[in-house]
Amino acid sequence: MSKEVVLDCFGEACPVPLVKAEKALEKLEINDILIVQIDHSCAMKNVPEWARKQGHNVEIEEIDDGEWEVIIEKVK
Amino acid sequence: MKAFFDKIKQNEFYKMWFKDALPYITGAILLSVFQIVTFATTKNPWGVSGVFANWGAWLYQLIGGSVDNWYYFSSPGAQATLEAGIINHGSTWRNIGIIFGALFATLAASGFKIKKLKSYKQVIAASLGGLLMGYGARIAFGCNIGALFSGISSMSLSGWVFGAFMFIGAIVGSKLLVKYFM
Repeated sequence: MSKEVVLDCFGEACPVPLVKAEKALEKLEINDILIVQIDHSCAMKNVPEWARKQGHNVEIEEIDDGEWEVIIEKVK
Repeated sequence: MKAFFDKIKQNEFYKMWFKDALPYITGAILLSVFQIVTFATTKNPWGVSGVFANWGAWLYQLIGGSVDNWYYFSSPGAQATLEAGIINHGSTWRNIGIIFGALFATLAASGFKIKKLKSYKQVIAASLGGLLMGYGARIAFGCNIGALFSGISSMSLSGWVFGAFMFIGAIVGSKLLVKYFM
């Protein structure tokens, strides 16, 4: 059974969301889902970019004005 | 009205130009073109942070202070700028333009949000970071725009030196950030 972890990064500026996401993903098992909540538009660029480069599955959802969830499925 | 905006949201050109972030290369080209325009029309390279020193001086004069004997403002050029006043200071208008342009960009992408403070540590980190950046930019006679971007684009070696040390500073800063503010 894969688990789902929500990482609240609202109110955090770059590069904090990226560093926190890196650390959180490290602790997860394969097939687990990490949901990074961000409201800093530059993290909207660098968090998905990093996760895709690592080879994970990434989806971005706009949940409100200026708020996004980056959904990362750990694949390896 | 709502139907109209829903239709705009689906428009591919709206998405390309306003909603999604421009690719880095497009941003780089636009910055280059506009800094050339700035240089050609104002005869001065683009700068941002020097303006804040002038704002500080005008604010200080407003409450009765005088910066006439300050080394930073001692050149005839700096004195003339101060005497001409903020209304005639082109760089001030450019900075105001940057602020309103950024506001327009987030509003157009419906990405505007007033962010909450997460902890008192953020306040300390932001104040400390702002003070260090402002102080550093003034004793270096430029920030990453005036000293780095404008320096390098006018073939000045100082821009590259500034860049190298800014890179070192960014590494040290990131390490400190992770260690003390996360």
